[in-house]
Amino acid sequence: MSSVRERDDRSTPSSQTSESLVLALPKGRILSEVMPLLRRAGIEPEDAFSDPESRALSFATNHPNIRIIRVRSFDVATFVAFGAAQLGIVGNDVLLEFDYPEVYAPVDLGVGRCRLAVAEPAEMVASDDPARWSHVRIATKYPEITRRHFAARGVQAECIKLSGAMELAPQLGLCRRIVDLVSSGATLRANALVEVEHIADITSRLAVNRAALKTFPDEIGWWIERIREAADAA
Amino acid sequence: MKEFGEMALLPAGLRDILPPDAAFEARVVERLLAGFTAQGYAQVKPPLIEFEESLLSGAGAAMTAHTFRLMDPVSQRMMGLRADITPQVARIAATRLQNAPRPLRLCYAGQTLRIKGSQLRPERQVGQAGVELIGGASAGADAEVVLVAAEALQAVGVPNLTVDLTLPTLVPALASGLGFADATVRSLVATLDRKDAPAIQAIAGGHAPRFVALMRAAGPARRAMAALQALDLPATAAAERAHLGEVVDLILTAAPDLNLTIDPVEHRGFEYHTGVSFTLFARRVRGELGRGGRYLSGDSESSTGFTLYMDTLLRALPQPIAARRVFVPAGTPRATAARLREEGWVTVAGLDRLADPRREARRQACSHALVDGEIQAVGGTKKEERP
Repeated sequence: MSSVRERDDRSTPSSQTSESLVLALPKGRILSEVMPLLRRAGIEPEDAFSDPESRALSFATNHPNIRIIRVRSFDVATFVAFGAAQLGIVGNDVLLEFDYPEVYAPVDLGVGRCRLAVAEPAEMVASDDPARWSHVRIATKYPEITRRHFAARGVQAECIKLSGAMELAPQLGLCRRIVDLVSSGATLRANALVEVEHIADITSRLAVNRAALKTFPDEIGWWIERIREAADAA
Repeated sequence: MKEFGEMALLPAGLRDILPPDAAFEARVVERLLAGFTAQGYAQVKPPLIEFEESLLSGAGAAMTAHTFRLMDPVSQRMMGLRADITPQVARIAATRLQNAPRPLRLCYAGQTLRIKGSQLRPERQVGQAGVELIGGASAGADAEVVLVAAEALQAVGVPNLTVDLTLPTLVPALASGLGFADATVRSLVATLDRKDAPAIQAIAGGHAPRFVALMRAAGPARRAMAALQALDLPATAAAERAHLGEVVDLILTAAPDLNLTIDPVEHRGFEYHTGVSFTLFARRVRGELGRGGRYLSGDSESSTGFTLYMDTLLRALPQPIAARRVFVPAGTPRATAARLREEGWVTVAGLDRLADPRREARRQACSHALVDGEIQAVGGTKKEERP
């Protein structure tokens, strides 16, 4: 593992000393932004990975000791927190929601950029004074972040957990406000909603299992550096 | 009688430990205590429950949110059921053993209970074993407890142990030295705990590079120490770094093969620690085997120690080897069975005279049976070896 200590040495840790590692990637839109970055870091998945017909969930890469798994973004955080995957790529919206003490987020990949915000119907905004709130009902995929955000300003948030299509909730009277990811704002506008409060800026992060980093500091540290370089080069 | 399911269900985070695991856990605890005692740590046994003022004061304050309370009908005062044993040992050292010479070496093992488990660690009842070294402030004391912990874990058979050193006072010292307000220091510490570089940038502004450099100065001890030496730190933080360097040297001189890492920004769970602290990990084992570090005992006496968590520790250990069990038919003289036990056998006595002792031996999960004064293998049981 001595080669690893030389930061300018770009060769991988030698196969005799390398431990097998699992990298968890999120399904969906972010993946197309993440893959070029991983390729720059020298990780190339097998062909089945990009084959839409493939039913496989776990894929080999050009590195015999790295496997890729493809799961839902919320599950990336869970796999990494439990150490089932040592590395993962996930938005910090998910990391903030779970706030797992066992997950580190050392690298900002700068992709999947958006923000987490509170939105409400446009016609409500004029008459609404947020300072008067003591309780709000909110539809969201992020009940923990929402509760924490409102609790910090002395407001109790009652959260209705939805998995998607939050924008429908105010229209159909489920509740008046939502907390959701906003990138261009087009979806909000299309549903006559207005962003009223900013909660956090979101990007995709490299997530690392704490115990794995402590017990394999050379291997995991090496990959963190490669991915950091790839992200900085973007 | 109630349904089986209703009878068997236990509250969340609590479980029955069955054979052979219960005996294995007891044996591991016994070996840990024997190891601590052999290095001069004398065993103490505080009660399960005590008044909450004493249980939750000083270093015990960290456990406030995790402690079950109950009202003592006798004194009408509130009591807490211990979620951690360290504050109890610190209390003993500061009160009943205040006149005992320092450094005072104490060890303990016992059960703890906490209000809530987490998703990653759902257990609410956890066995703990540990040591406290009261009233030794030198680098030698910090190194000793790390070495005692590492040796104890290796002695019970933990493979691939890693000790991760941290200095929970370093970031606050550096941030206060740079003039950050207390609230900013707290959010900076929380951000560094997640190693969230962009958030550090947002909080620390122009000083962010120093904190990011500190965060990246983590890894195998020698390399991390060299990276730390290269940083420009204010006087108090530099003194802490020098002390850490001394501890690292002492540990690596005594145990050159130990996997020792440093993470200078690790802080979560070390809120009440006042100096060099550490976490114990094993490769491919979820969670921490234990943690320890420097704290103030009785509000004034600088002390250190560590606690091992039996739930994680048992997951890190290889499966226990089953003892060889021999079935001894009814009527065999007790002296014969006693002799077998001296040879290391577990004897299972027949209660009634049976035609086929070998068959009964198999039914009772015995690997062997005593037939006509001779030990015979009966087959059909799992792999066994001498204890």
